[in-house]
Amino acid sequence: MADSVVKQVVTVLAKALTDHPDQVHVNESQHRGTTLVELYVAPGELGRIIGKQGRTAAALRTLAVTAGEKEGKNVTLEIRDGRP
Amino acid sequence: MADATLPIVEFLKGFCSALGLKATVDVENSPDGPRLNIGGEEAELLVRHRGEPLKALQHVVDMSFGRHGADDKRVFVDALFYRRGKDLELRHMARLLAEKVKSTRLDQQLGPLNPYERRLVHMAVAEVPGVATESIGDAFSKTVHISLRK
Repeated sequence: MADSVVKQVVTVLAKALTDHPDQVHVNESQHRGTTLVELYVAPGELGRIIGKQGRTAAALRTLAVTAGEKEGKNVTLEIRDGRP
Repeated sequence: MADATLPIVEFLKGFCSALGLKATVDVENSPDGPRLNIGGEEAELLVRHRGEPLKALQHVVDMSFGRHGADDKRVFVDALFYRRGKDLELRHMARLLAEKVKSTRLDQQLGPLNPYERRLVHMAVAEVPGVATESIGDAFSKTVHISLRK
């Protein structure tokens, strides 16, 4: 199955932000009407993805929610380091 | 087109296609640096919620490409000229309040505003003689205080 809009958007954004785009993995799962999106980045890159005062993480969440709006999904974004 | 903006245009196109938007990205060079405008009817998605997605996208662009920029000019990300309109409105408002301070001799406040918006207000009010501006607060967003110059 082709990747969902949310997954594609989060992947594009995360790959632009990190120095290790090859280590970006995105998982998507459904939980009682909400869509959980898990973003995994290289261990040293977590700080960059979160940003000062969590501003970059907040921006990613905003854009993930926007992408969800397009598909009628209620999106929650979790950011983790390592691999799925 | 400057070489520095090319990867950003590509990024925005990739972002729009990931979002499934039929959108275009146009570059316009302004004195403040390149302005990239996302066009097309579906770009409306980005200006919902008072343009929050657009602000978020600007932040991601700043974080992703800012550190590679050789010049200090910042790339400005817009959709359907939404932010350009907002900026004009803010400058108008700032000038209007500055005139009001002069005529009523009472201080005026504008905000809370983010750093970019505050800069616009400070610069717009600086063109009105006899008034001074000051940012007040210690959070990311601060209020701009406009008063008579002493």
